[in-house]
Amino acid sequence: MSVAEASPALAVEALVAGYEPDLPIVKGIDASIGQGDFVAILGPNGAGKSTFVKAIAGLVPIHAGAVTLAGRPITGLAAHLLVRAGLAFVPQTENIFASLTIDENLKLCAGVMPAGKRSERIAAMYDLFPDLAARPTTPAGALSGGQRQMLATARALLVEPTVIILDEPSAGLSPKLVGEVFETLARVNALGVTIVLVEQNVRAALGVARTAMVLADGRIVHRGPAKGLAEDPRLGEMFLGHHAAAGETA
Amino acid sequence: MNAQFIVDGLIAGSMIGLGAIGVTLTYAILRFANFAHGEFIAWGAYLALAVVAAVPFGMVPIGPFSFGWMLPIAAIAAALLTGGLAILIDWLLFASFRRRGSATIIMVIASFGASLALRSLLEFVFTSKPVYFTRELQIAMPLGGGLRATPDQLLMLGVTAILVIAVHLLLTRTAIGRQMRAVSENPVLARLAGVDVRRVIRTVWCLGGALAAGAGVMAGLLVQIRPYMGFDLLLPLFAAAILGGIGSVPGAILGGLLVGLCEALAVQTVGAEWRAAVGFVILTLVLLLRPQGILGKAAT
Ligand SMILES: Nc1ncnc2c1ncn2[C@@H]1O[C@H](COP(=O)(O)OP(=O)(O)OP(=O)(O)O)[C@@H](O)[C@H]1O
Ligand SMILES: [Mg+2]
Repeated sequence: MSVAEASPALAVEALVAGYEPDLPIVKGIDASIGQGDFVAILGPNGAGKSTFVKAIAGLVPIHAGAVTLAGRPITGLAAHLLVRAGLAFVPQTENIFASLTIDENLKLCAGVMPAGKRSERIAAMYDLFPDLAARPTTPAGALSGGQRQMLATARALLVEPTVIILDEPSAGLSPKLVGEVFETLARVNALGVTIVLVEQNVRAALGVARTAMVLADGRIVHRGPAKGLAEDPRLGEMFLGHHAAAGETA
Repeated sequence: MNAQFIVDGLIAGSMIGLGAIGVTLTYAILRFANFAHGEFIAWGAYLALAVVAAVPFGMVPIGPFSFGWMLPIAAIAAALLTGGLAILIDWLLFASFRRRGSATIIMVIASFGASLALRSLLEFVFTSKPVYFTRELQIAMPLGGGLRATPDQLLMLGVTAILVIAVHLLLTRTAIGRQMRAVSENPVLARLAGVDVRRVIRTVWCLGGALAAGAGVMAGLLVQIRPYMGFDLLLPLFAAAILGGIGSVPGAILGGLLVGLCEALAVQTVGAEWRAAVGFVILTLVLLLRPQGILGKAAT
């Protein structure tokens, strides 16, 4: 068995991270995400969900702790090298290049692939998102919210990542579009790609994820199967900040 | 009114436009106005002059032109060296401010310092006496319609057109051009997309420096070489870049040509002493009336 198969897809140990050196926002998180898992990261506003995933993606300074991707240490690796290592991150806002066309957005991201594979991967993305294939020369800035999210997801998927992290892909989308985006993520997950989904849209996220983690004040206050958590009365309390009531169930 | 201002204006405008491309690209990628950009023009001219002076052959005029084959070689060498100089200045100065997350105003003031230092160095080494690539006299040929231009001037217009098309194709058709546009729009997302932002920054400096050197060699050939030749172009450069719309390469060259034409028109109608005021007037008007420039997009 290779190292990659034996190791979790993504693991963080005692992670402390934040924007200022003496002001940790992520206050010591341990998490291990198995190959092929679909994890929803939930929690109240300001809990540090975005900061947590941005630290993993190389966008927020890590103060202490370690991150490994399929067994390989990636702590503090520059963002443009992380994507080559197999970690794709889709930020919460401004996650496409509005001034570039759809095709240029995809070509730009394909730059990290070996030259011989680029056009094949772009074609694969057009197969997966026929909506995008219909208008490759449209500037991405002219796309609707749902199409933008498709493009952002396609950009991340294109590089054949081991793990995709998405920060609130449902933000600003109609319920119907949220359903479509999540359905796409489920399809991608079925292909074996590990997915980490940060969401405010708790019910929709728990409907599609396998595992759930709840963050509050920079710490994990609950982790367990996604199934049934939506109906769990403790969930509301976790969001209200009474995390003492929530035990670790995994 | 004499239509000759059109020829004079297009020629001055070509040099301004080539310089303005560098200004506009550095601004689009690094978000600060580099006041040292004019010095790259002067350094380009002096570096080419140094090559021509160091090699004792190759300056016998070819065909109708006033210079020999050594000048294009010297120009290419000067473009590469000035591109390298721009990268060096960035590495010594601006990169350390970027790492510290310094405010834009600090970068701008630092660029003033770099401008002063680079210019003084030229004066120290070459003195402030004007110098020339060649002493050959050229007769202006009639072009019809009462317009006249020397073969050198026509060649420089052609070279400018080729350079502008080449830069435009580089930006719109190549991977590095896509990366430059991506970094200009959103540097964080560009990193997430696997773009090595530092490499893009180096490319932009090199390109801007090389084009400025091109403008410097042209100015040296058609006018003269002085340590202040670039600094004196600074206001027209910024007027052109802002008139064209910051970040737009076609805009920069269009802005350059318009500023050059307005300057030449002012020289002809109100007198040569008003030339320097033209850039200032255009800059003020654009900022008041259409701050996003002709081809720029309005800030959202
Ligand atoms: N760029 C930044 N610089 C400094 N502090 C920040 C920055 N971004 C976020 N913070 C702070 O970090 C804390 C956590 O914010 P974060 O965005 O990680 O929360 P979140 O869980 O993603 O919230 P939301 O659900 O609203 O997206 C907040 O107190 C916020 O004020
Ligand atoms: Mg967030």
